[in-house]
Amino acid sequence: MHAEPLTPVEDVRSRAWDDRIGRFLLTRSPLGSVVRWVAGIRAPVHAKLLCAFMLIAVLFIAMGGMSLQTIANMNSQSQLLDEAHERVHWSQEIQHALALQMNFTAMALLLRDEATIANILRENNRFNNTLARIEKASQPEERGLIQRIRSAQEEAVTTVADIANLVRDGKLDDAMKLQLSKEYPLYLQIDGLVNQVLHREREKMDRFRASVAAANRKTLILMASFAAALIVLALLLGFVISWSFILPVQEAHGFLSQVAKGKFDTTINVPNRDEFGALANRMNQMSEQLHRLYESQRRGSQELQRLNDQLQQASKAKSDFLANMSHELRTPMNAILGFVEMLLDEIYGEVPPDLREPLTDIQTNGKHLLRLINDVLDLSKIEAGRMELVLAEYSVQDVVETVRSSLQSLALEKGLGFVAAAQDDIPLGYGDGRRITQCLMNLVGNALKFSKRGRVSLWVEQQGDNLVYRVSDTGIGIPKDQVENIFTEFQQLDTTITREFAGTGLGLNITKKFVEMHGGRIWVESELGKGSTFFFSIPLRVNDGGTP
Amino acid sequence: MNGKTILYVEDNEFNLKMVRQLLARTSYRLIEATDGELGVATALKEVPDLILMDIQLPKLSGLDATRRLRADPKTADIPIIVITSFALSGDDQKAKNAGASAYLAKPYSPRELMQMIRKFLPEQ
Repeated sequence: MHAEPLTPVEDVRSRAWDDRIGRFLLTRSPLGSVVRWVAGIRAPVHAKLLCAFMLIAVLFIAMGGMSLQTIANMNSQSQLLDEAHERVHWSQEIQHALALQMNFTAMALLLRDEATIANILRENNRFNNTLARIEKASQPEERGLIQRIRSAQEEAVTTVADIANLVRDGKLDDAMKLQLSKEYPLYLQIDGLVNQVLHREREKMDRFRASVAAANRKTLILMASFAAALIVLALLLGFVISWSFILPVQEAHGFLSQVAKGKFDTTINVPNRDEFGALANRMNQMSEQLHRLYESQRRGSQELQRLNDQLQQASKAKSDFLANMSHELRTPMNAILGFVEMLLDEIYGEVPPDLREPLTDIQTNGKHLLRLINDVLDLSKIEAGRMELVLAEYSVQDVVETVRSSLQSLALEKGLGFVAAAQDDIPLGYGDGRRITQCLMNLVGNALKFSKRGRVSLWVEQQGDNLVYRVSDTGIGIPKDQVENIFTEFQQLDTTITREFAGTGLGLNITKKFVEMHGGRIWVESELGKGSTFFFSIPLRVNDGGTP
Repeated sequence: MNGKTILYVEDNEFNLKMVRQLLARTSYRLIEATDGELGVATALKEVPDLILMDIQLPKLSGLDATRRLRADPKTADIPIIVITSFALSGDDQKAKNAGASAYLAKPYSPRELMQMIRKFLPEQ
């Protein structure tokens, strides 16, 4: 028995000893081949069980029948024994009657009364009746003996009658003589014969008793052997049939354990051609199917892995390219913006009034281009997984002030009201202050961009351990069906990429990424035509190890 | 000319030109180097009062050049402003670790640059 991880430990322990005996018998005796033969019988399990039970039941019924017959036999024998006993009893009674008869005959000589003579006759009758009974029950070879007794008795009775007559006539001496000369020897003769009968009957009874005892012993031995054989047969049948079931079940158990471990190319082999055989066939089909599925899935996942690797390489190449490009773009931007600023700062001398506007336009668009480059760079770094927050303590008030001072002029230009403030008592935050500022610049910048009139407000407050930033505008609002998409990456937006590129797409996406890197979340509430409010909530103090 | 000397190590000729023109009206004297090794050599030779060091340079990076100058007693105390790039994360920290006195992110505004120069090296 191999240790299966699926088998509970107690089960193995409780099964260990009988299982070991079973295994021993199967391998070291012909029982193994019998078990295989039974397993190989093409018959359903219940038919096999029924056959076994029927066989045992029939043999038990046969044994029951035999027992009944034995009991009947014993009954008749005990009746015969009774009869033999009775015959012995009768013989004794005859002896008794003879003795009394003799006694009364002797008494008649002394008492000479009729009553005693009548007693002699009564005993004589008893003698005759009992003798008739014995004769009736006797064997032919005993009849001669009984005949002799009867004739002797008849003679004795005749002699008694003579003696009685002599007594009545008062001839006592003659009676006495007759008694001594004839009657007494006759009695002795009869007594001897009766003794012979008694002896015979006794012998017969003893013989019979011995033969009955021997027969009983034989029957007992026979029945005991039969019962023992029956028990052995039942055990054998039980063993063979149960193992013809246990073996395939254990095979199936091992097989299923293998399958559960993920070895789908396992097969199960059982000699059974019953339900267990059918089950094993099904299991093999199942494992074949699983193996096929597993193989195709493995090939699929290999293919997927390969594609994924390719995709990752492509994505990394793209990110690297974007990072390099963005860097390369920065250097000329530095010169462009630097020279324009120097021109406007009149480093090169006074700027004619009609040149100031186009120079300012160059500066505005240059800054916008720079922002886009920065966004593309940020996004490519985030995608490549190379964006890291620079965590430090920062003042929320300072962040709000930076945003306010940077964008105030834009609000003024558009004639929009702009309020940016934070709750007074917010303690120092811990996070990437520059990225948080960037997020707010994106949100407030968008709010100013999409509002034609009204006001834009930025408010920060502490809620428990979190900071909640809120940017509200009175702009065009966001249609409900786009609220979900507004933070998704620009790749997922349709053909409006270029428009979104210049607008909110990148900024919002980057903002969302930075908020999430801080362990926070961003959401928007908007009403079409009335305005939008963007919220983001980040921990006041970001967990150092918790940033992704 | 007895103005203070500023060394600008930068390989882009337009940025060099811009700073050259920016400083033309001031009393500062500008000397230039177009790669890291040249920058270190010039600094050791001229011992300027302030060094502007771009972070990405041919031959020797601005950070390595800064480290070398800090290691040399002749230049160890000269203020060095490292001009970083947003392109690589943690540039600010790397510049500080290399021994930069301050850093300025590219693209910088000429106005900011002047402010920073004046802070470290007040004009007479």
